[in-house]
This record gives sequence, structure tokens and C-alpha cells, in this order.
Amino acid sequence: MSTETLPAAARRGAPLRGPLRTPRRPAAPALRGTLKWLLLGVGVVVAVVPFVWMVAGSFRTEADLFANPASLLPSEWTLHGYQGIWEELPFLRLIANSFIFAGVTTVLCLVFDSMCAYALARIPFRGATLCFWLVLATLMIPFQVTLIPVFIELFDLGWLNTYHGLIVPRATSAFGIFLLRQFFLSVPRELDEAARIDGAGHLRIYARIILPLAKPALATLAVLHFMNLWNDLLWPLVMTSSTDMRTLPAGLTLFGGQHITDHAVLLAGATISLLPLALAFALAQKYFVAGVATTGLK
Amino acid sequence: MRIARSLPAAAALAAVTLTLTACGGGADDPPDAAEPGGPSEPTEVVELTMLTGFTGGDRGAYEDLVATFNETHDTIHVTMEIQPWDTIAQSLPAAWATGQGPDLATPSFDPNIIAKYLETDSLLALDAIGDGEEQINADKLAPAAIDAFTVDGTLYAVPANVATLQLYYNKALFDAAGLDGPPATVDEFREYAKQLTGDGVYGLSVGERETIQMWPILQWLDGADIVDDAGCSVLDSEASIESLSTWAGLVKEQVMPVGLTGAESDSLFAAGQAAMQLNGPWAAAGYLEAGIDLGVAPVPTGVDGDVTLASTVPLAISAGTEHPAEAQQFLAWWTGPEAQRQFALASGFPPVRTDLADDAELNANEVVSAFAAALPSARLYLQGVPNASRVDAEAYIPLIAQITRGDDVAQAAGVASATLNGLTGCEG
Amino acid sequence: MSAHATSLSSAPSAAAGSAAPGGRRGRRRPSAAAAGWLFAAPSLTILGVFVAWPIVQSFRYSLYDWRIGAKVQEWVGLGNYAALVEERLFWNALRVTLVFSAVSVVAQMVLGYAAAAALQRDSWLTKAVRSVFFFPTVVALATIGLVWRFLLDPNIGLLGGVVEWLGGEPVAWLQDPDLALPTVIAVSVWKNLGFTMIILLAGLKGVPAHLYEAAALDGAQGWQVTRHVTLPSIRPTLLLAAVMLTVSSLQVFDLVYVMTKGGPLNTTDTLVTMLVREGFEYFDIGYASAVAWALFIIILLASALQMRFFRYNDVD
Repeated sequence: MSTETLPAAARRGAPLRGPLRTPRRPAAPALRGTLKWLLLGVGVVVAVVPFVWMVAGSFRTEADLFANPASLLPSEWTLHGYQGIWEELPFLRLIANSFIFAGVTTVLCLVFDSMCAYALARIPFRGATLCFWLVLATLMIPFQVTLIPVFIELFDLGWLNTYHGLIVPRATSAFGIFLLRQFFLSVPRELDEAARIDGAGHLRIYARIILPLAKPALATLAVLHFMNLWNDLLWPLVMTSSTDMRTLPAGLTLFGGQHITDHAVLLAGATISLLPLALAFALAQKYFVAGVATTGLK
Repeated sequence: MRIARSLPAAAALAAVTLTLTACGGGADDPPDAAEPGGPSEPTEVVELTMLTGFTGGDRGAYEDLVATFNETHDTIHVTMEIQPWDTIAQSLPAAWATGQGPDLATPSFDPNIIAKYLETDSLLALDAIGDGEEQINADKLAPAAIDAFTVDGTLYAVPANVATLQLYYNKALFDAAGLDGPPATVDEFREYAKQLTGDGVYGLSVGERETIQMWPILQWLDGADIVDDAGCSVLDSEASIESLSTWAGLVKEQVMPVGLTGAESDSLFAAGQAAMQLNGPWAAAGYLEAGIDLGVAPVPTGVDGDVTLASTVPLAISAGTEHPAEAQQFLAWWTGPEAQRQFALASGFPPVRTDLADDAELNANEVVSAFAAALPSARLYLQGVPNASRVDAEAYIPLIAQITRGDDVAQAAGVASATLNGLTGCEG
Repeated sequence: MSAHATSLSSAPSAAAGSAAPGGRRGRRRPSAAAAGWLFAAPSLTILGVFVAWPIVQSFRYSLYDWRIGAKVQEWVGLGNYAALVEERLFWNALRVTLVFSAVSVVAQMVLGYAAAAALQRDSWLTKAVRSVFFFPTVVALATIGLVWRFLLDPNIGLLGGVVEWLGGEPVAWLQDPDLALPTVIAVSVWKNLGFTMIILLAGLKGVPAHLYEAAALDGAQGWQVTRHVTLPSIRPTLLLAAVMLTVSSLQVFDLVYVMTKGGPLNTTDTLVTMLVREGFEYFDIGYASAVAWALFIIILLASALQMRFFRYNDVD
């Protein structure tokens, strides 16, 4: 994934023109185009139907759900799902806690991951490769078996039931380091060297050259991290015991019972929980698909 | 967004937020109960925390109970938190073993869990037992539950609830099939089920896994069983094989569905696609809301008399609690007559006390009286069997799964018995 | 070709080669190591303290009959591992996990690539479709599991209803031991496809236009272009996606747990559902840790194999 296979023009870091356009495949038959869109259409339907069911289901009564299982839309509409969420949960506090947890941790992750990735991709120091492999190796153990050791560790540190105990252990991610390292490797080194000639040190190269060019990767990572943390049920529940620190997933689980489930409320909760993520994704879209022209994963 | 500039800024902001929240102390304690008389009130309010798994529609009755306790007790305040059972299983053992965690909890919906927590000395031995309001009236509580929670003569938990299974039936489907009322004997049970089957309707809906077990009842009705008192399997006894074969035959004739979870079995009945189901009191409200013309009847009488399945959830105290006396006082109140009356009326569960049989209010409530009437003849599933959860997961459920899919019953029962005996350490 | 090989193991030395000329003028050369460790320090510290150390601890647990809260733990050495090898359910879980991984990774790579390739151009339509495909990734697993369970319920599910409306017999997707695993795999692919697509899309965007132009001049069309230009150019991306997908699919838990809990008849019992059961239902933490470490070895092997495949596979 370095630039050595690129012809000279690209290696000079010449501005690649506009949005990179893949040339049309020569003389593609109309049939193939139609087939492609047909398949995409099927894909869209398959991707969308469960969501429609979920959102519609949040407006359906229990009776309707069981009486008309084959229908996608409600026969009788009810707001009981959303009312239930509002009335039975300390909703604003849950959302606030979720934002604090997911938001702060994501920002820290972006900073620390990118710094570490920069080191592994750009700074030639002994032990870098071993470092990278060790980081990668931490992804290979299911977190369920480290749950108890971490719990005991936080207990020994006195970090249980605190915000820093909740956030700091999650403030970096091996996946993020891996992803960003691959991205950073594809940034033409000529840009680094030009900066170095001007007297820039690592910090400036990192902040002014590498990071801006890696926007798509950073945006992708931000969305993925935020999403994982937003949806994380187990970690906050195990590491904190105060009800004031509860996050949204914990609140939503109150509605799915061992015996009885109020589906409208459950689905309403799921729909509401989805909204910030949809927003984050929409915001990030313009970074991770458009700007890739100047530096991509090569 | 200029990421290059805003990222370090955001990081700084994050770090500051972090420090502030850390300094400010992240965790707020639950607010103290309102103290009558203002700040000059000398009595200290003891704060107790409680963790239970009663998510879903059941919740309200339990929350109301805790609220009533707090209203009627000036010196003790209980805060209950509810989490899913799976999460409790992952967080409670470590929390209690390190002396953390709530004062009170329902560790699992499985009564056999007591043994596991005792291995790590996590439970407080209950000693405030006796008569009167302040004491746990152990002799007046459902005997099956007390038995399950007593180890080596010491009581470690009280029943948070006791449930029995009864027969739910769809009156409209019964009318359509020309049947007058619910079946009274096990033979009628099978007969009616066959008659009611057809046109996309199952005669009897059962769950195979992730459910409160229904198949043991079917076996008990025929006088067969799963284990004997020595913990040895009787699944491969003649009576058992015959019983299992008969019921498996019904599955083959599509009278009963295959491979459903408890929730799926409930959905089937709620959708009007099954005529009968064995289920607990929690289901009544949901079925009525789904528009089913519902009838509740006792489980048909088996060859050995009336029998049904009971299940109970243990409510225990942490060995590391700082307020053992108050915690036991809470347990005493929870299992006392007023609390149980309130709870039963609100949830439809039978009271855990056996001395409320003549209570007029409870008897007037159809659901409560129907399920309470079954208590005397109710049995717990795999009571006191060592390694019960494994026996359930590795021997019993696979057995049912296999015979309902057409495997040879005798052979499957033999394999299940061997597995079971291996797990319980049965000799001979 | 060696250029791509550098992506994972020798990048630092290649970087050293190109940085040297500028370095003589700067003052950082002697402190390259210091700078490196400094930049990596926060991440490494956190990973070391809160991830690596607990991992080491879990290995320690696997050598004991570890019970939480016990004053003295009973040493069993490799006893847990020996028990594992003899356990029928372990081999079953291994089989299920490998099948799950192999099928879902291949499906996601192929379908993900197809989607990325089809949606490369930046128009409002393609952006909208990309969003739609990415959406399933964003939703919480517990919700997805619930929704799909409802949709697939043979008696009251939407899918069953549609099949009946078309005149067929509803299929018991999650209840049939033969169909449960394929169904779970399909839902998993559905959920993660968007993630793969986005990563591969980013890679495709980086392929320089002139490579395609050169190929067109040579008269290459369609599949030839893909095989000789596109795929080799995005090999590092393919590697990233393949390794990440494999590592995470070998550890699949949440989706399976919510949909089937490992049933029916253990046909969807993966290694992690097994170890969660052993550790948190049966309270046998030592044994569960042993399963995790057995899984670790498998993941390590799989990753190493993939590196080799993507490194030495000379397509062009």
C-alpha cells in the first residue's frame, strides 16, 4: 500500500483531477446495466424492509401485531410505544449519559488511535512491527473473557462507578489503529518530505498533513466507534452501578421481558435510539465518500 | 469541519470534561428518602439497593411493591434497579465476590442458582426467621420454594415470586370444534388437542427451549419423570419412554409445533393459531389484549392425580451487605400478607404465602385464584439436582428436540440418561 | 508486488529509507524512537493496562479451576484444555464457527465488492443507495435480532406470510436444525455488508484513473479489467477487510445469541456462545478462558494464512 507502483505523475503528488472518475466500461450492454440495477433494487428492498417493519411496528398495537403478521404497516395506529418510552424512562438523562460516554470516548479514540497509527506508519522506530502485531493480537480474544479481569482491575484502582472508569479503558481501539495505519501508509511520502524540508517536526506533519488527508478514514472511524459505544449495553452496566449513569441501551432493555414484551415500546425505543446514529452517518457521508480522491486506501 | 484543528481542540475539551466529572464524583447516590421533620430529623435512613431481572410487562407490580415499602417505612429506603437476566449473570457474581454490588438481588430466574452463589460464599444466611411481622415467616411460605432455597438446614433466600402453570385455552376455537369445556383428564387432553388441530391451528402450543419448561408436565401427567431422588435419570424407564413416545407422536401429527422458544410458543397462542397452552399467570393480560377469548383451567388430571410445574425466583441478600438486619426486614415484609396481597392482585401471580387461601379479595380475582389453586400440587423442575442448568441444556432439551423431530425415542432417552447421570454424578 | 507486501510488516523500514534524506537536515533522527513511542504512548498504555493485562489474566484463569471470589483457586494446569479436546460440544462449536466465518466472510467480500463497484460513481442516487446498505450496520444487534426473529417466525412472521400469500408453505427458518445456521449467516451478512462495502469503496476510490485508461487502450474489458487492474490495486484494502471480517466473525456472539442462543440442537452454537454459557451460566470461568485461548490460536492461524494469501497471490 505504498505509492511506488504509481506512475511518476501521481507520485509527484500532482493534484489528482476532480472527483476520481472511473471510466465507463467500454460498450457495456444495456442488459448488464439493467441487471445491475435490478440486483441493487433487490438489495435495497432486503436492506430496507426490516427497518420499515421496525419503525411501523413501533406504531402498532399488540393485537394488531399478532393478528396481522404478514402486513408491514399498522392497521391501527397508536402512539402508545412512544408514550411508554417517555413516561417510563428518565429519557433525557439516559440520552445525556449515552452522549457523554459515546461522544467523549469517540473523540479520545480518534486522537489516540491516529497518534499511534501515525507512529506505526510514519516513524521508523525499533519495535514498531512487534508493537503493531501485539496491538492486532488484542483483537483476537473475545472481550467476554476479559470482562471479569477488567472488572477486578477497575475495582482495585477504585475506578468502578466513575466516568473515567467508564471512558478511559475504551479510549483507544486496536481496530482504529489498524485502519488508520493502513490509510496513513497510502499518503504520499513526498508531502511529508516537503514539509520536513520546511522544518516541520512530526507533530506538525501529523496535524497539518496527515490528518486532513485522512478525513474519510477518520470520519468512517468516528461513525463506527460512536455507533459501537452508543449501542453498548454490557460495559456500562458492568462497570457502573449507579442508576444515574445508565445509558440508553440499559433503559431500553426494560421493555423486553422474559415472559412479556411490549413490542411497540421496544421498537419505539429502538427507533429513537437509531436517530443520532443516522444523523452521525449522514454528517460523515460527505467525508468518507467524497474526499477519498486525494488519498485512498491503495 | 476542519478536522486538523478541531480534533485537538475536541480532545482538550474531552479531557477537561473527563477531569471535571471525575473531580465532581461521577456517581450520584440515589436520593435519600424525604425525611419528615426536615434536617433536624435524628433518625438515619438506611439505604438499600436491590437488583432484579423483572423486565418487560411484569415490571409494574414489583415496582409498586417497592414503592409501597418505601412509603410505609420511614427508616429504610430501597432502590430497585432492573436489568435483563443475562446481564445480571455477567455482572453480579463478580460484584458480589468483591464485596460490591447491591444489597439484595434476584440472581437468576432459576432457583438452582443458589448453589452456585454459595460456592463463593456470596449469600447471607437468613436468621431473622420466625413469627410476626418483623420476621420471615418461613413456615408459611410455599414449601417447594423454601426447600429449594434451604441448603444444609440454612435458608438463603425467599421466593420473590412463585408461579404455577395452568391451562390456557381459546374458547372460540373450542366452540368451533364443538367442545364444551376444557379437558379434565390427560386422555381427554390428548383427544381434544387432536380434535382442535387443523386449518393452520395447532391443538397444543409448547416451547422447547428458552422457556419455562412445559414438557415435564406432559411427562408427569403420565406418571413418568426425569430424575429420581438419588439424582439418577429415569428418562429411559418404560413409563417414560411410553409417555414421551405418545407426545412425540402428537408432534408428528402436527398437533403440537416443533422447536419453538417460549416466546414463539406464546406468540402462536396469542395469534389464535393454537387452541391450548400451558403457561403462567403473566401471560393472561397479554392474551386478553391480543383479543383472545381466553379461558384458564387447571391442568388436566394426570394418572397420579393433579400435578403442574412451579417456578420460583430467589430473592437473596449479599453476604457483604452493611445492613443485614434491615435487608432481612425487607424480605420479611415482601413475603408478608399485605405485600403478597397487593402483589397478587396486581400481577395475577399466586401469593407466595400459603395462609392466604381464604382471603376473599384474592379468591374473587379469577387469575390469582386459578393459579393459586394449583400450588399444593405443583412441583419444581429438577429441584435440588446437581448441575441442573447443564442437565437442562445438555440432556433434557436435546432429548425433546430430537424426539420431536422424529428420532427414535428409546435411543434418544438412553443417550439423555447417560448424559444426565454423568452430570449429576449418579452412581449405578 | 513487494510494495503491497510492505503494507503490514516492513513499512517502517521502507519509510526509513525515504525519510533518511530529509532527516539529515532535521534534528529528529536520533529521537525517532522517542518520537515513535511518544506518539504511540497513550494508546499503548491504555491497551496495555486495560486490554493486554486482562488478556494475560484470562490465560492465567484458564490454568485453574477458576471460581470467582474463591479464596484459593485450584490449579489444574492444562486440565481445562484437555477437557476441551474431549468435549463433543467444543468440536461442534468449532465446526459451526468455522463454517460461519468462511461463508460469511466470502459472501461479504464478494457482495461487498460488487456493491462497492456498482456504486462507485458519486451521484445522489448512488449515495442514497449506499446509505441504505450501510444502515443495517448501524442498528443495535439486540434490535436486529428481535426484528429478524419476528420476521422469520414460521407462524406469525412477515416472511412466512408472504410465502403463504404466494401459495407456499412457511419455512421454519430458525427452528429447523438444518436451516438455522444458514439463516443466521444470511442475517449476519445482511447486517455487515454495508461495513465491508464502505471499506472497499474507499479503496476503489483510490485507484488512479489512468490505470483504467491504459487497460482500455490495451483492449481489456469488464472482468479482465477487474482481474488485472482493480483487484491488484486494492489488494491492501482487501486484506484489511478480509482480516477484520475474519477476526470478528470467528468471535461472533451477539447476533447468534439474540436469534437462537446456540440452538436448535446446538446447530448454531459458536465458540463464543459456548464460552459465555460455560463462564456465566455454569460459572466455570477457567474452562471458558481455555475455550477463548483455543479460539485465539485459531484466529491467529487464520490471520496469518490470510496475510500469506494476499501477499503472495500473484494475480497480475
